[in-house]
Amino acid sequence: MTKTTITLKINGATRTVDVEPSDVLIEVLRDKLGIKSPKIGCDRGDCGTCTVLLNGQTVRSCLVLAVEADGGEIVTLEGIGTDGLTPLQKAFIAHNSFQCGFCAPGVTLAATELLRKNAQPTRDEIKEAIAGNLCRCTGYTPIIDAIEDAAKPANKKTKAKK
Amino acid sequence: MNTCRIETPRTCAEASALLQALPDARVLAGGTDVVVRLKDQLIWPPLVEISRLAELHGMTEVDGWLRLGALSTWTEIERAALTARHADVLVEAAREVGSPQIRNRGTLGGNVANASPAGDSLPALIVLDAELELRGTQSTRRVAVAQFCCAPGKTVLAHDELIVAIWVPVRAGWRGAFVRLGQRAALAISKVSVAVRVLRADGIVQDSRITLGAVAPTVLRVPEAEAVLRGQRLSAAVMQAAAEVVCAAARPITDIRSNEPYRRAMCGELLQRALARLAEPTNPSDPSDPSDPSDKIT
Amino acid sequence: MNDLRVVGQSVVRIDGLEKVTGAAKYVDDLEFGPGLLYACIVESPVAHALIKKIDTRAAEALPGVVKVVTGADFPYKFGLYMKDRYIFANERVRFVGEQVAAVIAWDAKTAARAAALVNVTYEELPAIFNPCAALEKDAPLIHPDLGKYNYVPWFFPKANTNIAHWRKTRKGDIEKGFREADLVLEDTYTVPRYAHCAIETHAIVGLYDMSGRLTLWSASQSPFTQRNVIAESLAPLGITHKDVRVVTPYIGGGFGGKAGVSMEIMGAALATVVKGHPVKMMWSRAQEFYNTYQRQGVVAKIKMGVKKNGTITALEHTLYWDAGAYVEYGANVVNAAGLSATNPYKIDNIAIDSVCIYTNLPPGGPYRGFGYSEFSFGIESHITRAATALKMDPVAFRKRNAIKEGDLLPYGAPMNANGLAEAIDKVAAEIKWGVPEPARDPTKKIGKSLVLFWKAPAMPPNAASSAFLKFNEDASLNILISGMEIGQGLLTVMAQIASEILTVPVSKIRVETPDTDRNPYEWQTVGSHVTWGCGNAVKRAALDAREQIFALVQRVYCLEKDALYLEDEQVKCRTKADFVLPLRQFVIAGIQAEDHTYKGGPIMGRGVFMPEFASAIGDPETGQGGHPNVHYTTGAAGVILEVDTQTGKMKIRKAVLAVDAGKAINPDLVRGQIIGGLMQGFATVLYEDMRFSAKGKLLNPNFSDYKIPTALDTPDEVVPIIVETPQPDGPFGARGIAEHTMIPCAALIANALEDACGARITAMPVTAEKVALRLNQCSANA
Repeated sequence: MTKTTITLKINGATRTVDVEPSDVLIEVLRDKLGIKSPKIGCDRGDCGTCTVLLNGQTVRSCLVLAVEADGGEIVTLEGIGTDGLTPLQKAFIAHNSFQCGFCAPGVTLAATELLRKNAQPTRDEIKEAIAGNLCRCTGYTPIIDAIEDAAKPANKKTKAKK
Repeated sequence: MNTCRIETPRTCAEASALLQALPDARVLAGGTDVVVRLKDQLIWPPLVEISRLAELHGMTEVDGWLRLGALSTWTEIERAALTARHADVLVEAAREVGSPQIRNRGTLGGNVANASPAGDSLPALIVLDAELELRGTQSTRRVAVAQFCCAPGKTVLAHDELIVAIWVPVRAGWRGAFVRLGQRAALAISKVSVAVRVLRADGIVQDSRITLGAVAPTVLRVPEAEAVLRGQRLSAAVMQAAAEVVCAAARPITDIRSNEPYRRAMCGELLQRALARLAEPTNPSDPSDPSDPSDKIT
Repeated sequence: MNDLRVVGQSVVRIDGLEKVTGAAKYVDDLEFGPGLLYACIVESPVAHALIKKIDTRAAEALPGVVKVVTGADFPYKFGLYMKDRYIFANERVRFVGEQVAAVIAWDAKTAARAAALVNVTYEELPAIFNPCAALEKDAPLIHPDLGKYNYVPWFFPKANTNIAHWRKTRKGDIEKGFREADLVLEDTYTVPRYAHCAIETHAIVGLYDMSGRLTLWSASQSPFTQRNVIAESLAPLGITHKDVRVVTPYIGGGFGGKAGVSMEIMGAALATVVKGHPVKMMWSRAQEFYNTYQRQGVVAKIKMGVKKNGTITALEHTLYWDAGAYVEYGANVVNAAGLSATNPYKIDNIAIDSVCIYTNLPPGGPYRGFGYSEFSFGIESHITRAATALKMDPVAFRKRNAIKEGDLLPYGAPMNANGLAEAIDKVAAEIKWGVPEPARDPTKKIGKSLVLFWKAPAMPPNAASSAFLKFNEDASLNILISGMEIGQGLLTVMAQIASEILTVPVSKIRVETPDTDRNPYEWQTVGSHVTWGCGNAVKRAALDAREQIFALVQRVYCLEKDALYLEDEQVKCRTKADFVLPLRQFVIAGIQAEDHTYKGGPIMGRGVFMPEFASAIGDPETGQGGHPNVHYTTGAAGVILEVDTQTGKMKIRKAVLAVDAGKAINPDLVRGQIIGGLMQGFATVLYEDMRFSAKGKLLNPNFSDYKIPTALDTPDEVVPIIVETPQPDGPFGARGIAEHTMIPCAALIANALEDACGARITAMPVTAEKVALRLNQCSANA
């Protein structure tokens, strides 16, 4: 068998697409479905910029074969703020968290998964949650600050200057 | 162009039959290692994708054993109450694996099957006296994890066999610790890892297991160091003596990740730190809490 | 200057929304339709060889392959400062991974498979991987034709050697300086190569359309430099500057790695052989490591003379740079270091030799810090050792010798105004210099250090910036520049500068990434100079627009121009309190005069900036006489370092960096540079380590084995400090700060380690392993 047809629920929409067995999920998302927020930074699971939510869990979409995701539900950065910006996205803006922005899609999904599982994470838990997402620009601190801020009950956009 | 054939069997028996029929096929589970390696190849071998085999999922306690389905992910191992209760050292190892995304996909069976001397599961499973349930077209057998690997990447697994489950004996009173050193805190392949498990009565060590990762072609168990602990309290002198024994027993190499003398010295240092943690009184409120995270040696 | 409204405010980034929603597009995100082709290169497996034969038949026969090209198809040289490269290797390969051919196919996987079928026959030559070995008499020549190359007038290559450039700086009388010294300290420091590791790899899409128009979509810091270098190189094909258009969407980090022209020229050349089809080339992460630029390695020999009172009397600093196979950009790193390798100290007698040496390793080139990070490790280590040898406090020693405004620079020009002394005091206070800190447990020790840094933009003396500024009907603005948003926040800062002058709020200003057809010229976005250079151009464009506005109002309303001012997007008049004219009423439509005619028209500002005082030409033997650097940005940094004496693991308890920004136009963005730059700098000393085989092959071209820091590796606390001593020719007094933040890091760690444990390490990196082996004397190879 060379081609196979898979069905994915992506950001709420059901999409059917022909893939080759060797296609990884990120190729299918970007090249066949036009979803460009997940990026390719290393193509071998090291950098995390291809991170997407697959069935509620973050995965490296460069290491998941598309056929393995068949029937799965995928959320990318395009799909997390269906109702305007999420508190997390607002906090990232307020903290100037990203510089070049290339890691932002992956970091945002990793942080989204964290906050769904743990609404009040400690700073160490935040670092652990995004430890698989490499960022070369920021030194991580403004990203960590924003996640911490977004997790606050009042979602204050004030900055904890550190 | 590197199109391959991919099979998605519905049962273990079907998977084994496929493997027998496809001599160059590779088993694919979480893909966190296999897909990386496949990407370096211009033509991919046939793949047998096993992630939907129900028999390979789930954790249960059966007749004094903890059965971990081979497809248990690191995240599941990290979070499950059963592993916290019966496989403390494996939980600690799970926390050290890769990143959240790798832990969400990577499986225990896959890590064992890779047979990497730096794989984080093996030292932990060996100190737990864990066994593997291997199923092929003809039979099912049990092999101790300690007997499973023969060389880096080489195991006793037959081509048609799958690791179905990892069985951990349930033993009261044992406590374990896993420590490792990488170049940075996360996403680092171990330079050295140490797993240790100790059974004590009134502070006296009755029995123990000590293994070293990444310092020999396969994970090294060090019975001589275990002998040093037997009948002793975990005093500084005893820990030091055990450390000297593991340093002598290690057979590290110099490679791109580390140098021989550092690896050798760190075996002892890591063992002392693991033992020192076990020597502390347990935290009754949270038995699964390994330690203050700021004390991690990562 | 006292009542600034927007400049000096930490407004949020104007590209923030695009970046947190995934709307920001990078080259690989652009769509090119079903006509898109993919290219994959054939790489040299050997470090130095003659190409004897290339057989492309098997590759061409593969279904899906469109074209296979080799060096013979493009016998054109290129290079920024020295034209020492071919687009594809011609006759000779000089490093492992060098491009010798390329395959264009209908999909990327077919291109890769076909590339593997190209059969190249090599005749191996002896290779050199060590710059000092390359200087030996009978060393093989890597560029036998060096004497025939074209290069800029401030380079001094030595034909028939491996020396591509030798920058000599001499001031005072070095022998006298050493005679006056009470102590002469000598040592050698080595710094290996490093990789930028932008998370986005290099990417190029080229389209040569049926009319002969060449459009390039490029992940680049320098679209105009790319246009120039590519147009010049491909001129034999009839391509002119007007035909080449470079479009740069957002880039996923540059750090100097995307400053010049590397793989992009291949994308341009390949497009010309598949007319009408866009062709895409993406670097893999491995290629990103071994075939862009690497930060050059250096062996630095330092001899320093000091008096008992702590005055530095003489400095001899010889830098042997491992510049790699091609130095078209990297030789200027060597040049910049040779002008400034004193660091910010007033030293009367100096002899600096900065020698750019070809080796058979990947091309060296620009990397954040541009030579200063590299020499800082040695000189700042040495300074602390000299102070310690004199039993002087290393901070007091530094303050004594720190350069002041008006002191003569190594090349003879006077030093600019600076807040170095303030920076030193603030950092010393923040790390409680002189107050010992107890370790938390007996296996750990704590050390402190404080070092100084400086850096000037390294750029040609005529590097220019320009800006257009256009009003829209609602008095919103579009600013067109070709300074590149590389993450530093340039777009936001340019909006703030225009906003300050025109009173249009930042939220109504759009600044986008460049397109060389539409946006005016910018030399490059490098050297921490665009806030200054491009900022000056934008400020002038805004002033030009304001002048047009005032002139128009004067003409129509007969008000004195000098009495007019802008406030809240309105023109007002000091002499006529009731005069209020909103900008939106006339910046496009013009002003209706009493006779019902309209005066004026769309307001468009234009601004150009070139540092007309700069000159790269000095005496070749001394460097005296020119004015190669426009100014220096200075600062100080400190750490409190905890060392695990058993494992060697180092934890940064506190990192502090004070930089003199002149004027922080956006303080939060300055702090962002400090925090990020420190992390990148600490990574080079604590974690990163490039490993080459004995045959020159990079062994760790991936993030598994070349480890950049994760969120778990952050210091416990980072304190960014902004000092503001205005730069008289900067926009609102601003000067650049971005590279500077990583420069001090290596010496900070080495000096703090010695303070903690007494161990002095003179070869980077200072990894945990190296520290443990040294402290525990486990082995002789520590």
